[in-house]
Amino acid sequence: MPKLTIDGKTIEMPKGATILQAAQALGVYIPRYCYHPSLPVSGTCRMCVVEVEKTAKLQIACATEIADGMAVRTDTPAVKKARRDVLEYLLINHPVDCPICDQAGECFLQDYYMDHGLHKSRIAPGDKIRRSKRRAAGKYLTLDNERCILCTRCVRFCDEVTRTGELTVSGRNDASFIDMKEGKGVDNDYSLNIADICPVGAFTSRDFRFKARVWFLKKTGSICTGCAAGCNIEVHHNEGIVHRLMPAPNPETNTWLCDRGRMTYKVLRAGDRLSKARIKKGSMEPEPALRQAAHLIDDAAHRAGPESVAVLGSPYLSLEDNLAIAELASGSIKTGALCLDFSCEQGVKDGILINKDQTPNANGLKLLRARYGGLDQNALIGLINSGRIKLIVAEARALNSLREKLRDLSNIPTVILALAKSDLDFDSDCVLPYASYFETEGHFVNYKGRIQKTAAAVAAPEGVQPLWLVLSKISSYTGAPIKIEDTKAMSAKLSEYALGKSVIPAICKPGSIAAKSTRE
Amino acid sequence: MEKILLNVAAPDIETYIKAGGYRALKKAFAMKPEDVTAEVKKSNLRGRGGAGFPTGLKWSFIPKTNPKPRYLVCNADESEPGTFKDRELLRKNPHLLVEGLTISSYAIGAKQCYVYIRGEFAEEAELLKNAVREAAQRGFIGKNILNSGFDLEIITHRGAGAYICGEETALLESIEGKRGLPRLKPPFPAVVGLFGCPTVINNVETLASVPAIIEKGGDWYAGLGAGKSAGTKLFSVSGPVKKPGVYEIELGMPFKKFLEEYAGGMLEGSVLKAVIPGGSSVPVLTAGEALKMNLDYESVQQAGSMLGSGGIIIIDDKACMVETLLVLAGFYHHESCGQCTPCREGGGWIEKLLAKMEKGEARETDVDLVYSIAENMLARTLCPLGDALAMPVMSFITKFRPEFEAHAKGKP
Amino acid sequence: MAYKISERTLAEIDRLLKIYPQKEAVLIPALHEMQKEAGWIPEEAMDALGARLNIPYARVKGVVTFYTMFNRLPMGRFHLQVCRNISCHFAGAAGMLRHLEDKLNIKEGETTEDGLFTLSAVECLGSCGTAPVIAVNETYHENMTVEKTDRLLAELRAENNSD
Repeated sequence: MPKLTIDGKTIEMPKGATILQAAQALGVYIPRYCYHPSLPVSGTCRMCVVEVEKTAKLQIACATEIADGMAVRTDTPAVKKARRDVLEYLLINHPVDCPICDQAGECFLQDYYMDHGLHKSRIAPGDKIRRSKRRAAGKYLTLDNERCILCTRCVRFCDEVTRTGELTVSGRNDASFIDMKEGKGVDNDYSLNIADICPVGAFTSRDFRFKARVWFLKKTGSICTGCAAGCNIEVHHNEGIVHRLMPAPNPETNTWLCDRGRMTYKVLRAGDRLSKARIKKGSMEPEPALRQAAHLIDDAAHRAGPESVAVLGSPYLSLEDNLAIAELASGSIKTGALCLDFSCEQGVKDGILINKDQTPNANGLKLLRARYGGLDQNALIGLINSGRIKLIVAEARALNSLREKLRDLSNIPTVILALAKSDLDFDSDCVLPYASYFETEGHFVNYKGRIQKTAAAVAAPEGVQPLWLVLSKISSYTGAPIKIEDTKAMSAKLSEYALGKSVIPAICKPGSIAAKSTRE
Repeated sequence: MEKILLNVAAPDIETYIKAGGYRALKKAFAMKPEDVTAEVKKSNLRGRGGAGFPTGLKWSFIPKTNPKPRYLVCNADESEPGTFKDRELLRKNPHLLVEGLTISSYAIGAKQCYVYIRGEFAEEAELLKNAVREAAQRGFIGKNILNSGFDLEIITHRGAGAYICGEETALLESIEGKRGLPRLKPPFPAVVGLFGCPTVINNVETLASVPAIIEKGGDWYAGLGAGKSAGTKLFSVSGPVKKPGVYEIELGMPFKKFLEEYAGGMLEGSVLKAVIPGGSSVPVLTAGEALKMNLDYESVQQAGSMLGSGGIIIIDDKACMVETLLVLAGFYHHESCGQCTPCREGGGWIEKLLAKMEKGEARETDVDLVYSIAENMLARTLCPLGDALAMPVMSFITKFRPEFEAHAKGKP
Repeated sequence: MAYKISERTLAEIDRLLKIYPQKEAVLIPALHEMQKEAGWIPEEAMDALGARLNIPYARVKGVVTFYTMFNRLPMGRFHLQVCRNISCHFAGAAGMLRHLEDKLNIKEGETTEDGLFTLSAVECLGSCGTAPVIAVNETYHENMTVEKTDRLLAELRAENNSD
C-alpha cells in the first residue's frame, strides 16, 4: 500500500485512494464544496486544493490519487490563499442574506469564511449578479438560485443515486443555474436529501423552512420506524418539539433517508396526535381510562372465558411494547388467542433504501413468537370471524391491516392502542394513547435482523406513557399484574425473553454528530 | 520553402490524386501499424491545436492490451480567436485530412473516426462529408481498405456553438451528447476517452501532416523547421496587415520576415504596437519583443508567450489596449463552461471591471483588482480556459499599464 | 400541446442511432435536425426528443442551453450574426453592428417585426483573415463593409419576396 505524509503525519492507504480520503483518515479536515463521499467526484469547486511536493500547481485533494512517497501539505500560505480566493469568487455573486436563510448555522460558506476567508468584499455592490429566489422545486424543496454555488451535488444526486435525472445546470458561465422542468421539480422519494447535501442555502426543506434556527436544535440519535430498513437518524428538536429528521449515515443501514421516513415525526404534531384517551367517543385523561380498559377485559373474560379475548401484537410497535402485549395475553388474561404473526415480504424495494415491508418490526415479532407462540394470522381471523371472540385488544394499525379479511367488527368491543386519530379507521369505545418512539426508547429488528433502539428525544404529552407501561397498569387493574413496572424490569424481561443474554447493541448514541457527515 | 499542407488546392478527389494524393495511404497499408507510429514519432511532429504535444508519443499511450474499441477523434472545433487555418485546410485540401485520418486510424487501430467540426462551419462540414464519400467510393475508407483487412468509418460530427469544446475532453463530452464540460484528468483520453474507450484526439493540421511524413519519412520531416520545432506549420495572420490570411511556412522563420514577406507588412498608416502570436489565449508581446522572435515553439516561449495554434493577431497603434482586452475578456467570460469556480466567477467580474474602465468609470484601484482576479485564476482551474483568460489579462496590464491607469483615472 | 417530431427527423434519428454506439450521442445531431425545421427548439421539443431517446428532459435542457447555436426563441428567417471578436473588432465590427441596428431598427438580440431578420453579435467565427464577417444562417459573408452589408440586406429581402 502506498505510504504518504500529510502535514508531516504518515499514513498508509490502499492504492486508488485520494488525498482527501487519506487526510480524512488522518483527521486532517480539508474544506470542500463539490466533493461528497457518496457522490461521484466532480472536482469543480477548487476549494480542496493542497500542495503536493514536486508538483508545480496546487492539486485538488478530492481527485488526486495518492502515491507512494507523496508529501502533501494542507496548511501552506499558497493553500490558504487559494482557499481564500475560491471563497471570494463564490461570495462575489452571493446575496449574503444569512439573516433570512435557513442554512445559516450549518452553511459551508459561513463556516469556511470564518476559517479561511475573513476578507473584505472587493466587488462593487451593483456588480453582483441577481438570480431567481424561492422557486418551488417539488413537494419538499425550495430552490434559491441566488445562493447556489453550482457545486452540482444536487444534480449528481438525482443522476447517480435516485437515477431520476430531474435536475440540470442550464446555460453556462456565471449565468448558469440549477434548472428543472417547469412545474415538475424534484419528485423522487429521496428529495430532502438534496436539502441536506446542499452545502449552502440554495436547496432548503419546505417542511423545515423558518421553523427554527439550527443552532437552537438539539440532536438525538435514533431509528426511523417508517419501514423495515431501520435507517439510523438524528432527531432535531427544541423545547420539546421535533423539527426535522436527518439521516445518520451508517454503512450497515443507510447513507440517505427517504422523504416518507423524514415525515414520520408529523405524528407528533397537534391535531392528529392522540394525547387523551377516548372512552365511548368522549375524551378522558389516560390514567382513569386504563381502568375502563381493564374493566372491558375483565368483563369479557368472565362472561365468555379468557379465550374469548383476542390480543394482537403489532409490527409497528417496539419489542418492549410487543413483549408487554404477549405478557398481557399469556400471563395476565391467560388467553390462547394471541397473534404475533405479521410477517410479510421484505427486501429493498427501489434499489436504494425503502423496504417492501412498510412496518419497522416484523422481525421483532418473530423473535417474540419464538418465545410465546400464539396463533397464526389466519387462525386468528377464523376465530374472530366465527364469533367466538368477544373482545379484541390491539394496536390500531395492526388491526387495520387485517380489516379486509375480517367480518364486520361493529359488534365486537375493542381496546385500541393508537398514536394518532388518523390511525383509526373504525369505531372503538376504548382508545388509549401511548408514547411514540420519539418519546420513549424501543427496540426494533430491521429486515436484516439488526436490533436497534430508538431514543426518547422529547417528552410525551402529559399523562401519556410508554405502551408497555400502559399494559402493565391495565394488568394490575385486572388483578393479574404482568409485573413490568419500570425500565429495569422491562430490560430484564427483554433480555430474558426476546434477546437472550446478548448485549443489545447501542447503535445510536444520543447526541452523535452523525448528521454532520451526511452534509459532509 | 517546403509546403505539404497547402501545396495544392484540391477540393475534389481527382485533383488530389493527380497531385500525388493517397500515395501515402497505400504506403502506410504496406507497413505495420506500429511502424507507422514509429515514423510519426521520428518526425517530431507536435500537436498543432495549441498545446504542441508530440503526436507519436500521444499515439503510443493507447494501451496495447485494452480489449475495448479504439477511437480517433479529429479536433476541427477551430474557435480560438485569431485562428482560421483548419478552415482553410478543410476548404482547400479536405482529402489531405481524410488521408491523414485513415493512416492515423490504421496506426492506432481505430475502426471509427470522429471529426468534431464546429457547428458554424456548416459549409466545411459538407465539404468534408463529400470528401469522405468520394474516398469511400474509391475504397480508401470503408470495409477492407485496399485489401488490408482494415475497416474504417469516418463520421463528421457537428458542434453547436461552444469554444470550450476545442478542449479535448469537453469535445469528447460533446460527441457523447452532453454539455461540453472538460473532464478531470487523469484518466487521460488515451485510456478512458470517447464512450469510455481508448481515444486519440488530434487537431486537423496535425493529422493532415501525417501523409507527408509517411510518404517522405519521419527523418525528412524532422529535418524541416528548427530543431525541436520540426516541420511546416500553418500560421493565420489577422489584424491591420496588408495580406491577412493563412500561410504555410517552415517553423523557425523570423517573425519580422513573416510579417513583411507573407502578411505584406502593416497597413498604410498603421504602426505595429503589439502581437498576440498564438491565438488569443497566449500572453501579448510588445512590438519590440515580437520583432526579435522566430516562429517556433521555443523562440516564442523565450519571447514570453506561446506559439499556440499559430493564430497571429496584429495590434497597431490605433488600438486601445483596454478596449482590446475587454473584447477578449468578454469572449472568455461568454465561453466559460461554468463548472469550476475561478473561471466561472472571475471571468464575468473581470469583464465588468474592464467595461467600466473602458468607459472611464472605474476606480483607480481597479487596475490592480483586475490583475489580481486574473492572477487568482491562473493555474487554479480544471481546464486551461482559466489560464486562457488570465494570461492575456496579466500580460496586457503588465505591458501596457499606463493605458489602463489612464482609463482608470477617467480618460474614456 | 404535444410536440410532434417530424417523420424526416425521426428517420434521421433512427439512422444516427445505428452509427453511434451510445444513444445519447445522437442528441446534438438530432437537435440540429429539429432546429432545421422550426428554426428554434421549444421546450416541448426537448421533451419529445428526450422521450424518443430515453434521456431525462433536464439532460436535454442542459445541452440545449449550453450550446449557443440552439435557439430557444423563434428566430427571423435570416439570422444575421456579426462576429464581435478581436480581428473583426479591429476591422470595424462594432460599427457594423450599430449600422445594422439602425438599419433594421432593432437592438442586438432582437427580431424585426416582419419576422425577417434576427440580429446577433457572436463570438469568433474562425474567419479572422477576412474580417469583418457576418454569417447569415449558415453562410459566411466575409470582408464586409457598410456598403456590402446594405447590398446583403437588399438581396435577402429580394430572396424573401421571390419565394
